[in-house]
Amino acid sequence: MSAPVAQPQEGPVNRRLAIHGLSHAYALRTVLDGIDLDLPAGRTVALVGPSGCGKTTLLHLCAGLLTVQKGTLENGFLRPSVMFQQPRLMPWKTTRDNIALGLKALGVPAGERSARAEAMGRAVGLDALALDQFPHALSGGMQSRAALARALALSPDLLLMDEPFSALDVGLKGQLHRLLLDHQAAHGLAVLMITHDLMEAVRLADAILVMAADPGRIVHRVELTTPARRRGDAEVYRTTAELLQHPAVCTSFGLEPPAADPEADADGGCAVLPLRAVGADGGATPAPRKKGFSC
Amino acid sequence: MSLLRAWLAGIPAYLWSGWGAVASLFLLFAAWEGASAAYGALILPDPATVFATLAGLIDSGAAWPELATTARRALIGLTLAIAAGSTLGMLAGISMTASMMSRPLVTVLLGTPPIAWLVLAMLWFGASDGTPVFTVFIACFPVIFVGALQGTRTLDGHLKEVATVFRLPARMKLFDLYLPHVVSYLFPAWITALGTSWKVVVMAELLSSADGVGAALAVSRSHLDTAATLAWIAAVVGTLLAVEYLLLEPIKRELEGWRRQEGSAA
Repeated sequence: MSAPVAQPQEGPVNRRLAIHGLSHAYALRTVLDGIDLDLPAGRTVALVGPSGCGKTTLLHLCAGLLTVQKGTLENGFLRPSVMFQQPRLMPWKTTRDNIALGLKALGVPAGERSARAEAMGRAVGLDALALDQFPHALSGGMQSRAALARALALSPDLLLMDEPFSALDVGLKGQLHRLLLDHQAAHGLAVLMITHDLMEAVRLADAILVMAADPGRIVHRVELTTPARRRGDAEVYRTTAELLQHPAVCTSFGLEPPAADPEADADGGCAVLPLRAVGADGGATPAPRKKGFSC
Repeated sequence: MSLLRAWLAGIPAYLWSGWGAVASLFLLFAAWEGASAAYGALILPDPATVFATLAGLIDSGAAWPELATTARRALIGLTLAIAAGSTLGMLAGISMTASMMSRPLVTVLLGTPPIAWLVLAMLWFGASDGTPVFTVFIACFPVIFVGALQGTRTLDGHLKEVATVFRLPARMKLFDLYLPHVVSYLFPAWITALGTSWKVVVMAELLSSADGVGAALAVSRSHLDTAATLAWIAAVVGTLLAVEYLLLEPIKRELEGWRRQEGSAA
């Protein structure tokens, strides 16, 4: 059962997350089967799939919270960071100290880490009052911002995210998406992101891997050619609609296959797909009317 | 420093909130007075007599040395129990095996009456300070141990994952993750142990020592002096109440500021 787990290596050449034939089982139940994934520096890969398809297990394997049972997982990044599904802030620390947690672990002196935590807190839109409060005094959205700030404060080269924005409203989601894309453009970090929101995946990722359950496996891969920062609303909606028309995606999410001929859809026939249907069928975020939402 | 300032600033409001407790104490005194009137002064002297006797003991200088001796023994035993119980309890809480193994042992310790330990202590330590100190230690240790054990075991697994992915060193795990959580379990255990130590030390002195409040109680009993007996009891209980409500409770409220906010936000 001893599978090789490569240690982080020096040099920029190995700055990538490479997974080959990764399988994982809890007791007799196989939750992941034959996962292949490659994430080089600066790229964003989104894993989408229905609940219970092993996405979180895969992320925990990447974060080193679980031991690799079968297959290989090589993580060449030096400073990985994780943003969990729940904010997971320490209730006995102020927001500022929570953001500075990773910096403190690195041994950054108190004054410097407080300043860096404050700067990062401001960048995600937390004011001085919120930074001095305990997490329970903050709203859910502010807690998520603090969790994102805590993950980014480390200046990570790999960010693992587990449905990080799923509890937020569309406006806040849009703001944090923009923030993440800006940070990525400035620092070139690689992002592995788990989401069940197809539109979020299309908005942020360079590649989308669609997973299916029982056992968890990758059934469809999509490469998005336009850089995420230049992707407009129209393109995001169209690509999401196309994805939802794909038979593998429909099967994975347990949706009715599209009524029209899938072959025709692949040729762009999906452009006429009503946007309302995207929200109703896919559970994806309904199309917002405000332009402010765009990234 | 800010902790001390916040503590001092909070005292007036805290004292003001004590009126309810004072009112219920006065109800107790009223009942005491009633019982005294019914049964006579030999069985139960009235509160005024008892407090006058206590004032007399204090004025004559007889009270303070005895109270100081008792307090010294109780605090030495309690300090040892806090140090050993907190450390061992947390260590046991970290390991599943250790906590399962220690549980029955702690139950044995908790179930053994302090008077049994006292008899053993008298055999081992004789009439020295060792007897009350050991008895206090052994009576307080399991209470604190269980508090530390439960505090460590109930820590949110999600936060442990955060500690792992942010690569918190062992020292930080202790001071930034385990201790703040465990303290909210430990502190009530410490306060319970303080009460226990104060009661047990008087019992141990009564049977084994020539000085201290317990010994003074033994003397007043042999003189059939009910008023002096009750005066000593009032001194012991009064000291305990003062330490708990003027010192420990405000500290506890300050330490658990984050918890209070949680309650008000919910």
